[in-house]
Amino acid sequence: MASATATYGQKESSDQNFDYMFKILIIGNSSVGKTSFLFRYADDSFTPAFVSTVGIDFKVKTIYRNDKRIKLQIWDTAGQERYRTITTAYYRGAMGFILMYDITNEDSFNAVQDWSTQIKTYSWDNAQVLLVGNKCDMEDERVVSADRGRQLSEHLGFEFFEASAKDNINVKQTFERLVDIICEKMSESLDAGDPAVTGAKQGPQLTEQPAPPHQDCAC
Amino acid sequence: VLSVFQHEADVFEITDFTTASEWERFVSRVEEVLNDWKLTDSSVDRSAPQKGDFTTGSWEEESKEIHFADFKFLITHYLLKKESKNNEEQDKQAEDALPAAMQDLLCMQNDFPPRAHCLVRWYGLQEFVVITPATNSEAIISESKCNLLLSSVSISLSNSGCQVPVFVQIQQKWRRIYAGECQGPGVRTDFEIVHLRRVPSQYNHLSGLLDIFKSKIGCNMLPLPPVDIAIRFTYVLQDWQQYSWPQQPPDFDALLGGEVGGVEIGKLPFGACEESISELHLAATWPHVTEGIVVDNDVYSDLDPLQAPHWSVRVRMAENPQCLLGEYLTEFFRLCCRKESVEDVLGIGLTDEEGRETGDISSALSKLTEPAAAVPISRLSVSSMVHSARKRIHRRRHIHESPLSNEILNSILLVSLTKVEAFPPSERWSLFLQLKSAPPDSLTYRLALCVFLVNYSYGGLAGVAHLWQEFVLELRYRWENTCLVYGFMLIFVAYAAFLIPCNLNIHSLLVVTGQMLNCCIERRRARDEARKAQEATKQSKEAESELSAKETSQGKSWESWSDSEEEFYECLSEQGEDGPQTEAGQNGASRAEGRLHPYNNLTLLHSSEPLYVPVTQEPAPMTEDQLEEQSEVLAKLGTTAEGTHLRARMQSACLLSDMESFKAANPGCVLEDFVRWYSPRDYVMEEVVDEKGNKVTRGELSTRMKIAGNMWVEAWETARVTPARRQKRLFDDTKEAEKVLHYFAMQKPGDVACHLFSCVIHAALLKLNPAVRKSRFFGNKRNRICSQLAGMETAIAQARSLKAKFTFNNEDQSEATELKKFVSSLLEEPEVEVTGAGQGPAGRIIHRLFVNAQQAALLPLPDEDVGGDKKDFPPPAGREILLRTCVPRPAPYSRSLPQRLFCVLMREEFRLAGAFSSDTSFF
Repeated sequence: MASATATYGQKESSDQNFDYMFKILIIGNSSVGKTSFLFRYADDSFTPAFVSTVGIDFKVKTIYRNDKRIKLQIWDTAGQERYRTITTAYYRGAMGFILMYDITNEDSFNAVQDWSTQIKTYSWDNAQVLLVGNKCDMEDERVVSADRGRQLSEHLGFEFFEASAKDNINVKQTFERLVDIICEKMSESLDAGDPAVTGAKQGPQLTEQPAPPHQDCAC
Repeated sequence: VLSVFQHEADVFEITDFTTASEWERFVSRVEEVLNDWKLTDSSVDRSAPQKGDFTTGSWEEESKEIHFADFKFLITHYLLKKESKNNEEQDKQAEDALPAAMQDLLCMQNDFPPRAHCLVRWYGLQEFVVITPATNSEAIISESKCNLLLSSVSISLSNSGCQVPVFVQIQQKWRRIYAGECQGPGVRTDFEIVHLRRVPSQYNHLSGLLDIFKSKIGCNMLPLPPVDIAIRFTYVLQDWQQYSWPQQPPDFDALLGGEVGGVEIGKLPFGACEESISELHLAATWPHVTEGIVVDNDVYSDLDPLQAPHWSVRVRMAENPQCLLGEYLTEFFRLCCRKESVEDVLGIGLTDEEGRETGDISSALSKLTEPAAAVPISRLSVSSMVHSARKRIHRRRHIHESPLSNEILNSILLVSLTKVEAFPPSERWSLFLQLKSAPPDSLTYRLALCVFLVNYSYGGLAGVAHLWQEFVLELRYRWENTCLVYGFMLIFVAYAAFLIPCNLNIHSLLVVTGQMLNCCIERRRARDEARKAQEATKQSKEAESELSAKETSQGKSWESWSDSEEEFYECLSEQGEDGPQTEAGQNGASRAEGRLHPYNNLTLLHSSEPLYVPVTQEPAPMTEDQLEEQSEVLAKLGTTAEGTHLRARMQSACLLSDMESFKAANPGCVLEDFVRWYSPRDYVMEEVVDEKGNKVTRGELSTRMKIAGNMWVEAWETARVTPARRQKRLFDDTKEAEKVLHYFAMQKPGDVACHLFSCVIHAALLKLNPAVRKSRFFGNKRNRICSQLAGMETAIAQARSLKAKFTFNNEDQSEATELKKFVSSLLEEPEVEVTGAGQGPAGRIIHRLFVNAQQAALLPLPDEDVGGDKKDFPPPAGREILLRTCVPRPAPYSRSLPQRLFCVLMREEFRLAGAFSSDTSFF
């Protein structure tokens, strides 16, 4: 994936100031707080209402990890059903996903399984996923218990966080954990000499089978 | 003590200036080298070599340069490397043991090794040193020089105590004449060679050679101990007769001759065009014959090869036999390097006319597809343009000879464009993924094979250019006639996803663009069908308009847009759409259009009308590179608020289109209605108690939807009331298809070949044996892959040829497997023993081969029927006779020492290589 980074790096002539670039997608039902979550992380700001995202939007944040500058290009997607086909197109090439639901909304939690299937269908095999239950500050209106969230995440093999963009709970931790997982996976693949990773401009394999299940991570 | 020792060693290293003359200096230099190589250690034990050691063991070689005055010599040490035995045996070595080399002289385990240095073959040595002139042109010719050199060696050996034989090469190099010496405690062996052009008649048989051997030994002891004899006769077979390689190269002329089967097209040629096995050498060996048992003199010989106890065979492969696949690959690779464009190849005239038209094709197209086009479209039709271009091409072709005849062209297009049944999935997916090729049932794959054939057999570059041009025209034709010919050129059946999977690394660009074209064709077909259905309903009313439409257009479905002024998106299906007329009747305010179905029993907020889901446009498909391009553009807008807003704007086309459709389907609707369908969570429902005390559910837009001037409100306000089918198309299939076709048309034949290269390699691999296919051999260089593939083909051709010769008409199962094994070892080993010699299954076949060749050789001279002398085998091409004994020399009371004479008798060479040992203490 380092090479994929290089490809992007060349194109982004304005900002060469990083060692790696990770592309991360935030997905989940409409109004679960994806945009807020991203703004909290990237700008450390919170507004009770952002305009509903049309299509796809992004923000950039550069962090340091193991003495490496990692540029995160975080894509924020529209959650509406109608935008699914458009946003899934961007799944390819994403190294990490934040799959988000709203703990005050049952539907958004029920849709997690679907979203996870979408990831497996359209993303790279090595893409890492984190499950996030957002709006944990609204304890009064909670309908999805943390246990249910945890159970589902274990079932899907993702790591799990409950977070609040409003109260700034676990936002930074979520992103940093995702970056760590990606880094681990990357060094694993590089060590194994996996051609799928070391090969130049690696793309997905066009197989009819869905991607193999992701490695289970201990939460 | 140690320091003293070291001191002495240092002294030893000092150049001794007392060795004044060049000759002395040379002698000491040889000694030095022998010391360096540690050859002076006489106790080095080497057990007798095992059978086959000379071939299977590895020979080590070490060289140094030494000078005699200003004459340069090369001194080389040869050693057969074996696994080291335990050192205990070393102690058993008796003080006066013979040097290893002398023991080797009598060793019978490795006579006639298939591959070895000539000195090894002649003297059976395991270790020796050779001094040769360093430059190839130099030679030691004069006898005095030879003697000088030999005596130097002799002195060096005795000075150093080296027991390894040392040879000097004399005379011209090609004659391979060596003189040498080996010294041991109280013994020495002289190695001498006689080399003549012709075999003297008195020595042309065993008895004559025995005479030489005995006289040379000069032993006067009686009775003389018997001489051990080993004999090998070699027969060469060059004439394979009817067993010649059975495969004929595919007869391409047949197609030209009118028998159009199209069978060869779409298949790969394979195999050698000529015999790939040039010679078979049969060696009949009598390994152990005692003197007096076999009679071989000038009038009679017992040595009948059929009776020889050992047979071994080696084959010589033809150098670079002409193999079809290899030749085709080479040519194809050359094609990849060509830079000419189609126009360059097929001639000018086309270029300026078409070039101009294609130059502004996109602007013309945007005019065509712009809803408010002001240009009379029927005149500007791309269709007519293309057809005129096609006509021009054909006209021009009639004048010049076109590279491909129509017949061939048609059969090629037929092969490449017809749908074939799918390969089993395993075959389909496994290999082409690794190769970044396309599955064997795909268009690209078959096209690749056609280009491959055309390049070699039908006119090379020009043929390919012609084929490509026709292919592109054919694609255009199919695009224009969607309805008629839809469905047979699907490259991938499944591309259900919105994104066309097209990582350029994995699939050739042709596949990708081809898929885009397919998308276009499909969309277009959908539109055409919708329109047809509509027209059918209108037919009764507007029969005359359709009549005129038919007249104006050439392509059948072309009318679908060339006769209308505007280009609109058409809904996919009419069946779900409620009749607009009836609805309009009920709703007086405005007519509802483009309804798909009611939505969850909801009614509009400001009327009692049910809320309808509108028919919407499908989002535009994108190839992966298009997507990458787009996301790059989006990313370039930066992360500022304005950037975000701009991005939303750019992506709002779909939203706007949906809003317009919604408005058309739900007259009198408001944004809240739209949101309830489109983004339900942005409509917040609340239970409120109104003034009268009743519980009422009240809904309103979410906070974010109420932000003033936000994207959604803005879009809603600008959205017109337009059903999807009258909207501007989100995906302009016409434009996209033209882009694709233009891209195709601009490809040079060389580019096409490059795109198809991986498919060709893929096909070649499939053609090769599956075992070969597994081997990992790919580099990145195309020419290297080509030559590797050609090499494999040659190997396979050789194997096949041998198989054809050795495995015919045998019923016996065990014999067949034995023969199979024999053939495969022939390919792998330098020399193969024939089990059962002349009586075994392989031996019988070889015998028959020789008999047939002999018969044929005698056939041209039938009158010369020399009765009794009808031999099965030709005279041997070479005879090798090895004589060995152990006698006291030079005096009867001397030690009994090994003596050896190796004789080579060939048509134009006679060589005696003798090694004669003598006692140096008792003589």
